[in-house]
Amino acid sequence: MKQLIAFVILFSTLSLLGQNVEFEKDNFPGKKDELKDARRQLDVGMEFFLQGKKEMDDYKRYYIGEHKFLPVSRYDYMDAGGELFRQALAPLGTAQKFNPDNARLNYALGVVFFNIDHISDAALKHFEKAYQLNPEVEFDLCYYLGWASHLQSKWDEAIKYYQLYLTKLQTKPKLYGMDIEDIAKKISECNTGKELSANPERVFVDNLGASVNSSFAEYGPVITADESTIIFTARRDNSTGGMKDERNSYFEDIYISTRQNGKWSPSRHLSKNINSSEHDATAGLSSDGSKLYVYRYQKKDGGDLYESTLFGNDWEVPVHMNRNINSKFHESSVSQSFDGRRIYFISDKDNGIGDRDIYFSDMDVKGEWSTAKNVGTDLNTRYAEEGVFIHPDGKTIYFSSKGHKTMGGYDIFKSTWENGKWTTPQNLGYPINGPDDDVFFVVSGSGKRAYFASAKQGGFGEKDLYRITFLGPEKKPMLSTEDQLMALAANPVSDLKMEAAVETKSAKLTILKGVVTDAKTNQPLEASIDLIDNTANVVLATFKSNSASGKYLVSLPSGKNYGIAVKKENYLFHSENFIIPEGADYQEYTKDVALKKIEIGSTIVLRNIFFDFDKATIRPESANELDRLIKLLTDNPTLKIELGSHTDSKGSDDYNMKLSDNRSKSVVDYLIGKGIAAQRLVAKGYGETKPIDTNETDAGRQNNRRTEFKILEK
Amino acid sequence: MRFVFTVIFLLSIVSGRTQDTVRIASGLTPEQLAEQDYNNGLAAMKRTDFLGAVDLFNKALIARPTFDKALYNRAIAYTQLKNYQLAKADIDKATTLNPKNPDNFFTKSLIYLSENKKDSQQVSLDNCLALAAGHPEANYYKGLYYYESGELDKAIECYSKAIATNPSYAYAYNDRASAKRAKDDLSGAIMDYEKALALEPSQAFIYNNLGSVYRQQKNYGKAIELYSKALSQNAGYLPALNNRGAAKLENNDLKSAETDFEEVLKKDPSNSQAYNNLASVAILKKDYKKAKDMAARAIQMNEKNGPAYFNRAIARQMLKEEEGCCADWKKAKELGVTAAATYLNTDCED
Repeated sequence: MKQLIAFVILFSTLSLLGQNVEFEKDNFPGKKDELKDARRQLDVGMEFFLQGKKEMDDYKRYYIGEHKFLPVSRYDYMDAGGELFRQALAPLGTAQKFNPDNARLNYALGVVFFNIDHISDAALKHFEKAYQLNPEVEFDLCYYLGWASHLQSKWDEAIKYYQLYLTKLQTKPKLYGMDIEDIAKKISECNTGKELSANPERVFVDNLGASVNSSFAEYGPVITADESTIIFTARRDNSTGGMKDERNSYFEDIYISTRQNGKWSPSRHLSKNINSSEHDATAGLSSDGSKLYVYRYQKKDGGDLYESTLFGNDWEVPVHMNRNINSKFHESSVSQSFDGRRIYFISDKDNGIGDRDIYFSDMDVKGEWSTAKNVGTDLNTRYAEEGVFIHPDGKTIYFSSKGHKTMGGYDIFKSTWENGKWTTPQNLGYPINGPDDDVFFVVSGSGKRAYFASAKQGGFGEKDLYRITFLGPEKKPMLSTEDQLMALAANPVSDLKMEAAVETKSAKLTILKGVVTDAKTNQPLEASIDLIDNTANVVLATFKSNSASGKYLVSLPSGKNYGIAVKKENYLFHSENFIIPEGADYQEYTKDVALKKIEIGSTIVLRNIFFDFDKATIRPESANELDRLIKLLTDNPTLKIELGSHTDSKGSDDYNMKLSDNRSKSVVDYLIGKGIAAQRLVAKGYGETKPIDTNETDAGRQNNRRTEFKILEK
Repeated sequence: MRFVFTVIFLLSIVSGRTQDTVRIASGLTPEQLAEQDYNNGLAAMKRTDFLGAVDLFNKALIARPTFDKALYNRAIAYTQLKNYQLAKADIDKATTLNPKNPDNFFTKSLIYLSENKKDSQQVSLDNCLALAAGHPEANYYKGLYYYESGELDKAIECYSKAIATNPSYAYAYNDRASAKRAKDDLSGAIMDYEKALALEPSQAFIYNNLGSVYRQQKNYGKAIELYSKALSQNAGYLPALNNRGAAKLENNDLKSAETDFEEVLKKDPSNSQAYNNLASVAILKKDYKKAKDMAARAIQMNEKNGPAYFNRAIARQMLKEEEGCCADWKKAKELGVTAAATYLNTDCED
């Protein structure tokens, strides 16, 4: 098929301007037999073409009935008539070889290519040729010419042909009301495309390479916040079950690749639990990579969402999400908030704002997804929205839309949650977006890179996965100039003209990741990790480290005092504290946690116990940590512990000793007040006598200021 | 470089306003012989024969041990020979012999300057100014000290005192202009540079400085004109050629800028700044391979060239050499290029 397409394209480009030439004997003297053959091919091809066109038009009518507007993207035709168009190609191509100057044949080939070849400019060339030969050959020629030019980013030409078509439509405005609206939208898209492509975004777009991509189609990438894992959909010849659909494409399966030392590992099937002999496609991934959302399609459910959890090294069998999420309509593309308590997803269920809309659902107290709510008209339009992605910062949402200010088909937009509402969606600009569909776009935790699928030329075949690197505003070079400012001085003073740095907008997010192990055996542990808002004294989310690798990843949006408690039965809990100021830039911390068994002599630093400055008064932010300690003592009623308080070396020895004594007593008093027997608790102030870090730096001193408990008896 | 300027200044002292030549009568007495040796010593100084000068001053001082002028000038000769110890000993003796002579303290301050002993230099300058508050050179150097310390108002005050005593002191005008420029008083700076040029119209560096003020004001036409004047005074004054290229580049005349930078390299093939500026041109032309190569050469010529690391980082980023780019931004940051610190944070992994 590809060779045939190439042949027809090559041949048709050889034919230059000319008059319309009908397939009649007067036009081909002495070529009676060839003409006869060509007419036969033309008739066969036209038969397929007209049937295909009818299927397409029928589908268009159906679409209009459903949506009350015309198909916005060529993919909206859902390949209607596709098979017939593919069958029309060979005979029409043969006829075209004999007579390249027939307007109707060029029009037909244009429509065929428009439907089956989404990469080359073959459709445009045939429409242009048809227009040169006879601009009136078909009523909608200018419509297709406009759209084919539009898809090749030829904005001005597209507008010109759309305008010509619009003039025709306006002669019967009542009949063509919806068409007029459609053309007005397309002209507006071209103006947006013109504006955005004049100021391209500074990005690198790189193919992810042969480890990830293949000659088959890859799409639907989802990534972990730290970009260590990518999971995606592909239609490869090793598809589970080996089945093909009506377009001769293998059924979808889900694949995974991990990044090590900056390189992607060879991709492999995700899991037998995930991939079935039916279509299995990626729909979303939690930022820690522990929960995968899968899209599966069955006619009766219109396409539903499923949820799978990573357990050890394998993914569990996907579970159908509840009725608050799935409906008899189409649900796809889901994105989980950083704390796992909210999901955003796409559905075209009844009573939406338009076509497919973005919905959200919160997790209820039973851990179930509550009734989904439409996010509203700030993000949703009467046209379709797809590919929703909530950034781990919890405030930035990316999605694709055919509405808003798109330059054609789906474009990717960004909006942020400010003052209780979503800001006006901003088009991510050219070349991220183009005139065709741009969808299923995911952003790294750092916000510096994004991943998407595209059928760009020069790939490995079909759609490939690409990485976008955002370069930020252009960096101006720095000149070396020199003035001898002081006549007799000394060194001529170098007057370097430095350009002010331009801030590259990056995500306000901290990623905490590491491995949880047993302190003695170093074996990985599956532990639960509580993420606590110390100021509000609430557990924001609970994560689990992987049972096989012990790995965990937690996203911490900026602007909070976070407590982290790593817990496992029969082990002492481990706590960490992260105060991340509002607006702090993206950063990654690796914190490996070695959990200690509950044994005599085991010591734990309580990082989330806070005191008033220079006082022994416990601050309210300590409540969660103290509650954990109380639970530990209640669950283990034979434990006797020492509460030790330590200071840094600032201040006199005596003062520090007294302060630490008072602080340890405060903690003990608190515990006694909560019902822990006094004889189980020993308060001990160590002052500055047992530093665990240097006292020369702020960070070191902060480490030295601590409250510890030690198991004295078990 | 500091030493070179100090030498120049000391030589100017020898040839100018320091200790006078002694008139010698015919029929020489030992005293007169001392004076003759002294005068011959001064002549040797002018020939920069400092060893010969020391010899002659020695003879003069053997004949007349209290010859304070000979002590003073031998101190200068020792300074040229970098024998600061002996130089200071001579100045101290001269001061003992003539404690009211502010020049003794001033010269001693220059010896300290040559030794890069700034605190001692200041003490000597203060001693000089205590004897002669309007001493123009002492005020000049005091101004220089304040300028380098970032105390611009005090610097301007000192230069103004120097100018009040010596209204023809072109260098004081130049330096006061530079201090005003550092305070963003660009119109004040222009007036002082112009005054300096009126007094010393052949000094290429003053044209260059004035040109840079206009460049700062984005008056590239005027800046280019002044850099060209600097070059007409001294065709080998490469800072003006580099700066003219920079002004042309900022005026979006990349081709002409490139010609200037290449001209610098013809005259000085090891000019790190010109290589870096050619890297800037290449970046603006989006020829990142050349930019990387030029910046690398700039670094090869001067491994402390922060802007060259910065420019190479830009080129490497566009060539998708992520690791090299970040290493260069790190190095540029270490060398004080603040913008590099920002990019290191926004564009590089930990």
